[in-house]
Amino acid sequence: MFEEEDVKILIRALKDCGGYDFSDYSLKSFLRRVEKVLYDNKMDIYTLTNAIKIDSNFLEQVVKDITVNTTEIFRDPSVWQIIKYRVLPKLHAQKEINIWHAGCSIGMEVYSMEILLYEAGLLDKARIYATDINSDVLKTAEEGVFSYRSASEYLDNYRKALCVNPYNMDEKIIVPIEKYLDFNIPKDTLKVKPFLLSKAVFKKHNLVSGTNPFNVKYDMILCRNVLIYFNQTLQNKLFMDFWKYLNDDGVLVLGIHESILGPMSSKYDKKGLIYQKKLF
Amino acid sequence: MLYVVIGGSAGSFPVVTGLLASLDKNFPFPMFLCLHRLKNVRTGFVEALRLKSVLPVSEPYDREPVLRGHVYLAPANYHMYVTKSETISLSTEEVVNHSRPSIDITFSSAARSFGSKCVGILLSGANKDGALGMKAIKEAGGTAIVQSPDECQVRTMTTAAIKAADVDYILTGAQIISYLQKLKE
Ligand SMILES: C[S@@+](CC[C@H](N)C(=O)[O-])C[C@H]1O[C@@H](n2cnc3c(N)ncnc32)[C@H](O)[C@@H]1O
Repeated sequence: MFEEEDVKILIRALKDCGGYDFSDYSLKSFLRRVEKVLYDNKMDIYTLTNAIKIDSNFLEQVVKDITVNTTEIFRDPSVWQIIKYRVLPKLHAQKEINIWHAGCSIGMEVYSMEILLYEAGLLDKARIYATDINSDVLKTAEEGVFSYRSASEYLDNYRKALCVNPYNMDEKIIVPIEKYLDFNIPKDTLKVKPFLLSKAVFKKHNLVSGTNPFNVKYDMILCRNVLIYFNQTLQNKLFMDFWKYLNDDGVLVLGIHESILGPMSSKYDKKGLIYQKKLF
Repeated sequence: MLYVVIGGSAGSFPVVTGLLASLDKNFPFPMFLCLHRLKNVRTGFVEALRLKSVLPVSEPYDREPVLRGHVYLAPANYHMYVTKSETISLSTEEVVNHSRPSIDITFSSAARSFGSKCVGILLSGANKDGALGMKAIKEAGGTAIVQSPDECQVRTMTTAAIKAADVDYILTGAQIISYLQKLKE
């Protein structure tokens, strides 16, 4: 359908005209996204490349369409159980807690974290930072209103993450979901309760830049299901960046089917599903 | 070298476990399983397969290198691709045929990466996922095998594949097992 050379020209145009550098995305998945954009817009790659050069709004739209925003509330409950029982308890003694959600999509991961922190009595001293390259998802995240229908299939995650103690299966924990979320099934909405809103700071940020979007060091960085779209070079660069931006005791949380490969793997200690920063 | 890719949905679980229980523990090729699961059944699947299987079974992590004699199960809610460089990649892109993982995706990527070295097997299921993948395997020169629709608990998927692709064999579960047992380098 199109040649690799054409894709390189498109990547250059996205960079020159919009400042978005996709050259270290995994080529295969980038190609699939481009194919989808072409199909949805009924364009060929030359028309697309020209269109983004003359129309910056269209360029922004294309960048958004290239991103994959799939997410869930308490996605992979086993990870949240570990955060609850193995990570948060260590943070009680601290005066403040800094958490960065890198690639937060529509914020479900952010609100999941807030709920855990609240349950642990830590929300007040937590500062929650969340970034994404796609400003549309950030807007939804800030509003905290989701579609009930698309969220309902994984609401069981909520129960598993909050009401099951994997270290003591007999323990009975009851946390009604209505404590944190308002349902309106006829209107198809799932709303985050007001006291959880405006707690997190959402900001547009491109991980490729390598910059720290907030001028702090983090106790926890979550970057889940984002790096699978990047090539090894960029992945490795980000593992270096995250290492720099973590506190000495900080942890990195990846998607459960992601792992640190390559030179930076010796800089982290893998503890189950969590990567602990290693100093030496 | 061969690469075995298996797709299945409703009604395929007993066939898959039967097959994993009957292979030689020195089975010389990697095997990739793309099975639809019920939306609410997210965990325990790989453990259930492991219980029966003579070969090691795991849900791969992104970029995991492929080993011979290992069975890779597409994780819940991820599409699973195999690459020419013999690694696995995962993605959470849109559902395809209402499915994630989608069999078409795994099959097509196997066809593209391994061509004639690809053996595709499609089992019982209730939608049309896998039909285009079978066609891709066939067109790349690979071998396309479909479980006999008469034997399937749900015949929609295998019937669709037989219609879409000029498949090589239509076999019962037992015949599929003996086909795999005879595969050699
Ligand atoms: C699949 S979602 C993952 C959401 C959430 N972390 C989870 O695991 O459920 C990936 C997110 O990464 C964002 N993303 C992709 N490339 C990015 C980049 N270069 N910088 C920041 N965010 C990026 C996408 O916009 C998307 O929202």
